[in-house]
Amino acid sequence: MTDQERYLWDLSGYLILRGVLDQAETDAANAAIDHFAASIERGADNTLAKDSRSLRGTGRPTLHGLLRLAPPHCEPFRRMLAHPAVAMRLNAMCQPGFRLDHGPLLIAGVKGTEGFTLHGEGEPFRPSVGYHGRNGASYCAGVTVQWQLRDVAAGDGGFACVPGSHKSRYPKPDGVRTADDHRGTVVQPAMRAGDVLFFMDGALTHGTLPWRGAGERRSILFKYASRCAVRQWPDPAQAEPESFWDPAFVDGMTPEQRAVMHGPNSGRSDLVPALTVDADGTVRAVRPQR
Amino acid sequence: MAGGPFHLTDQERYRFDLQGYLVVPAALGATEVDACNRAVDAVAGTPAATEGMLGWPAPHREPFRRLLVHPAVVARLNELCGVRFRLDHGPRLLAGGDGTGAELQGGGEPFSPAAWYHQQNGRIFASAVTAAWQLGGEGGMCVVPGSHKAVEPAPAGVRAGGDRGAAMDVVRELPTRAGDLVLFAEAVTHGGRRGNGADDRRMVLYTYTARAVVAHAGRLFLPEEIWGDWTRELTPEQRAVLHGPGVDAAGRLPLLESDGATVRVRGADRGPRGGPT
Repeated sequence: MTDQERYLWDLSGYLILRGVLDQAETDAANAAIDHFAASIERGADNTLAKDSRSLRGTGRPTLHGLLRLAPPHCEPFRRMLAHPAVAMRLNAMCQPGFRLDHGPLLIAGVKGTEGFTLHGEGEPFRPSVGYHGRNGASYCAGVTVQWQLRDVAAGDGGFACVPGSHKSRYPKPDGVRTADDHRGTVVQPAMRAGDVLFFMDGALTHGTLPWRGAGERRSILFKYASRCAVRQWPDPAQAEPESFWDPAFVDGMTPEQRAVMHGPNSGRSDLVPALTVDADGTVRAVRPQR
Repeated sequence: MAGGPFHLTDQERYRFDLQGYLVVPAALGATEVDACNRAVDAVAGTPAATEGMLGWPAPHREPFRRLLVHPAVVARLNELCGVRFRLDHGPRLLAGGDGTGAELQGGGEPFSPAAWYHQQNGRIFASAVTAAWQLGGEGGMCVVPGSHKAVEPAPAGVRAGGDRGAAMDVVRELPTRAGDLVLFAEAVTHGGRRGNGADDRRMVLYTYTARAVVAHAGRLFLPEEIWGDWTRELTPEQRAVLHGPGVDAAGRLPLLESDGATVRVRGADRGPRGGPT
């Protein structure tokens, strides 16, 4: 990783590499997607745009399970998984031992596909995806790598972010979240097919602008994490106490004791109870109201 | 959040942020201490005598299961690690001279992805906190107050605990006694006591982490255990990034090295694997 890349990564919270894949490689990946076009699922309209006026549109098309597609269609995506250009930079961004946390998936778009409200930020700080720059080294808990399979021109839409927001100490204003009143803070980088984008997923404020390009949007997203951070599991049951520990260790525990025996997790507030303490010292396991 | 003694006071919050540890005197009564000691005595001499208390046969495991979510711990970790904190590893018993004189560990530099400290806008984020319960004897551990925020590595003399008598004398032994609870950030430089004390010391240590942080890997770790049997089809380099989270005690994690043009498993007896062509 060059000094310039380190500087840009720390400064901006994202990094773009140009021309990592050649034409033959993007063609192979696009052919695999074409083959499974019937399996692409489209979400309901405005699920991701939520209350934004600027991001409204039709539901977003996605395709999951790319590493498990029938051969040879899985191969282009398996080669991306530990691609040298990615491995070298994730060793610097997350430190050695980085791992795939979840994904990859195709995020597609046709003219009029909705955007995604901007999410992630430096404040509040979140351990599962937090960024620390220390003595010349990057310790980023969550990095998403996005491979472009089609060109994205300025104004086309797709990935957008607020550069530098991973270091913000203020919550993002609502006008930034919705992109309705962002005053120029939201940028949408232009990319070519074969380019690779790294971004601090969760620490950097990012989202998607509605797709306005003449062609189709095709981005492949791999969600990596550092060795000691967890964003989500392939199967949430793997974080259950009996899965994470020797079952004998947790056999017969009270709900309060089980509450602290879950494997590492984030975003599972509906599954993992919180503990509260009454004034008399009684500890209670509390599940959030849904 | 709790009232009474079961909450993190403003003074405790200040002291933890300043020094990286807290002492809660007499968090356990004599009855609770006795129950733990009786269980330890009952299991003494077996292979599991110093660890795995939560899985000991009933009733010996019960005193340690109560400590696991003791209100003095829960109320404070809800703030120090955040709600839905979790047990990462332990409990484990330190008895007699265990750990005495060993090199101190932890510290703000080098940064540890498993054991870091962060404070932002009035909130504390300690990724890992150890609760050390004193069950017998006096004293038992030492810390370097404030070292969780250090951005310079601890000198060898400090790690050896040997700066006693030096101008600054930054290593502090904690004068704890049976029933006391010490909560310390794993990021603070810490270790066993320096000198030779009486051999009646007993401490039991539980290490907790924030909900999304993991130091010790769980039972499921290999790619096929986490993702499925299809991962057996992958190259060693591809499999390397599909292992479960955390550090595996058995050392089964392959690491990747790459110069940007090739990637290979570090130390593996094989040539470099080129990028897609």
